Amino acid sequence: MDTSSPSVFVNGALLRRFVGQKVRTVIQVMGSDMGSVVGKSTDDLQIFVRGSPPPSLTTYLEVIGIADSENSIRAEVWTNFGDSFDALNYNELCKLANGEFKHLFI
Amino acid sequence: MENSVTQDGIATVLSNQSLDSSSVRPEIVVQIVDLKAVVNRYTFNANDGKMKIKATLPATLTSDIISGKIQNLGLIRLLAYTVNEIPGKSEEKYMLVTKCEAVAPALDSEIKSESKASTGITLKPKQEFVAKSASQIINEQRGNAAPAARMAMTRRVHPLVSLNPYQGSWTIKVRVTNKGVMRTYKNARGEGCVFNVELTDEEGTQIQATMFNAAAQKFYDIFQTGKVYYISRGSLKLANKQFKTVQNDYELTLSENSEVEEARNEEMFVPEIKFNFVPIDELGAYVNQKELIDVIGVVQSVSPTMSIRRRNDNEMIPKRDITLADESKKTVVVSLWNDLATGLGQELLDMADQHPVIAIKSLKVGDFQGVSLSTISRSNVVINPDSPEATKLKSWYDSEGKETSMSAIGSGMSPSANNGSRSMYADRVCLSHFTSNPSLGEDKPVFFSTRAYISFIKPDQTMWYRACKTCNKKVTEAMDSGYWCEGCQKKDEECSLRYIMAVKVSDSTGETWFSAFNDEAEKIIGCSADELNQLKSEEGEVNEFQTKLKEATWSAHLFRVSVSQQEYNSEKRQRITVKGVSPIDFAAETRLLLQDISKNKTSQ
Ligand SMILES: [Zn+2]
Repeated sequence: MDTSSPSVFVNGALLRRFVGQKVRTVIQVMGSDMGSVVGKSTDDLQIFVRGSPPPSLTTYLEVIGIADSENSIRAEVWTNFGDSFDALNYNELCKLANGEFKHLFI
Repeated sequence: MENSVTQDGIATVLSNQSLDSSSVRPEIVVQIVDLKAVVNRYTFNANDGKMKIKATLPATLTSDIISGKIQNLGLIRLLAYTVNEIPGKSEEKYMLVTKCEAVAPALDSEIKSESKASTGITLKPKQEFVAKSASQIINEQRGNAAPAARMAMTRRVHPLVSLNPYQGSWTIKVRVTNKGVMRTYKNARGEGCVFNVELTDEEGTQIQATMFNAAAQKFYDIFQTGKVYYISRGSLKLANKQFKTVQNDYELTLSENSEVEEARNEEMFVPEIKFNFVPIDELGAYVNQKELIDVIGVVQSVSPTMSIRRRNDNEMIPKRDITLADESKKTVVVSLWNDLATGLGQELLDMADQHPVIAIKSLKVGDFQGVSLSTISRSNVVINPDSPEATKLKSWYDSEGKETSMSAIGSGMSPSANNGSRSMYADRVCLSHFTSNPSLGEDKPVFFSTRAYISFIKPDQTMWYRACKTCNKKVTEAMDSGYWCEGCQKKDEECSLRYIMAVKVSDSTGETWFSAFNDEAEKIIGCSADELNQLKSEEGEVNEFQTKLKEATWSAHLFRVSVSQQEYNSEKRQRITVKGVSPIDFAAETRLLLQDISKNKTSQ
């Protein structure tokens, strides 16, 4: 595992803590064009993802990249997460990974 | 009736800083503008077209405002008032109106000095001003007033939020959103019966109404959950916080003389009971949790009533089981208790062949038969609810549901175990629970659920036996040809192979051996024993038999197991038998883990 460049699990609200840093999140895709995707975070906030998304997107999408503002990410890695995904669980994971179990995460 | 304000009325008010009803008073008619409810009274600006002054109305006039007698933009004649200074703002004054009378209902607009300038203009009231008392409303309903006329009258209905113990007559229009059971009581003053209902009005305000003895007898059959009623002549008192189930400072007591009339055929909106339905196939996650759930389903069957002896007080209570199905193609048994079993349950039995849709609010999810539902005292049942969910469900059932084969949500976990059939989400343990408790299952077999990986399947074990195709019992090779079944006392040319195998399982806490019989082993291996035997006999470059076993290894399952003690050479040994195998629902498992994490956090 590459630990040289860790990415933090974030939801919409946590994103603002990591502006300028590498993050990973899963969004529900609301819309997309050539250079960006607009999605809903697992805590129901709007997130803009810039970069070059894959040509076809599933309902849920994982992106890894640099948080360039409190509601946008410049993505380097795009992964389709399919059409059924438990957003609630993911959101809890984000909270735990940034809360008291932070030490368990890179 | 002159629909106009008194010219320079406010100036008159300011020059006569106090007026009481006994004094010779000037005629002052003002317009009410900016009417606002503030805590328990109303404030407004008194307007004469030229000037305005802040004013308050006494609480005694609240009912006139609620009934529409006094309206914003309407006109009132001042009969008694005092003018005071606003503390700290000596230049600003306000008028405390203690007595007034309505002159005209709401005008089209606020009277402005322009319109006042051209004298003689009288503004037309928006609607005819007919104040009706609550009893008049009720009387007109009795007289079978047309629905349209009734709609017009609903304007006079009091919102629940406005009711207080100090007001005179009122009429409320409410939906029964919960109906309690009739209870009997015995106290120092004697014995009797009582029941209560939760009422919800158009604005969503709720109040509890209680009826004792004669009133309870009179209204018990009249009040039906989900129906809308006009109610008047009840008394209000402060709610007993200890017993209150709705958010209201007051509660209502209805007597024999209270008026209760169903509002039939009215398009008036009164909020329905708010449901939050859980699909039947997702009930597993709620087993034995504190959380109550709501369910909607098509009635598949209704049992007769049974009498069950309650454990804590030995009282016999009626119970009736109904089976519901939904679009998840799963069924679940709901136990109705007490009055729901006898009253509503009978109604359901009578209409069972029509397969009504029912919605139930507030059910407990238990682990009887894997997953089952049970009503509690505040459960709410609505037959054929008028909702989009119900319509959708009914049309699904009529078009395909009734032809579809359904399975019980609790089954599939352990078809053979009678007392072990509990939910995969209940009594979850790790493998260390078995290995660290060697005497587990000493008295009688005990059951658990566990999530584990198959870590090893010994390829050279005896994995199957020859079984009778009729009764699945072991058969022996007959002398000439075919197989002899001792159970059936019959010879058959063919037999089938059935699994009986040992598998090693592992999780993060340890490893142990499970015994698996045919149906469960088939799920673990992924093919029947006959098929596996076929692969074994095929000699080839790749050994498909080995591959099959390898594929089955390191896959995780949810297991339902029984733990018992068996004697081997006069030594007791633990035996763990697989009673059910299900694939892992990762989202559900994650929820379970999150629950565990938060449990651990709170217990620390
Ligand atoms: Zn047989």
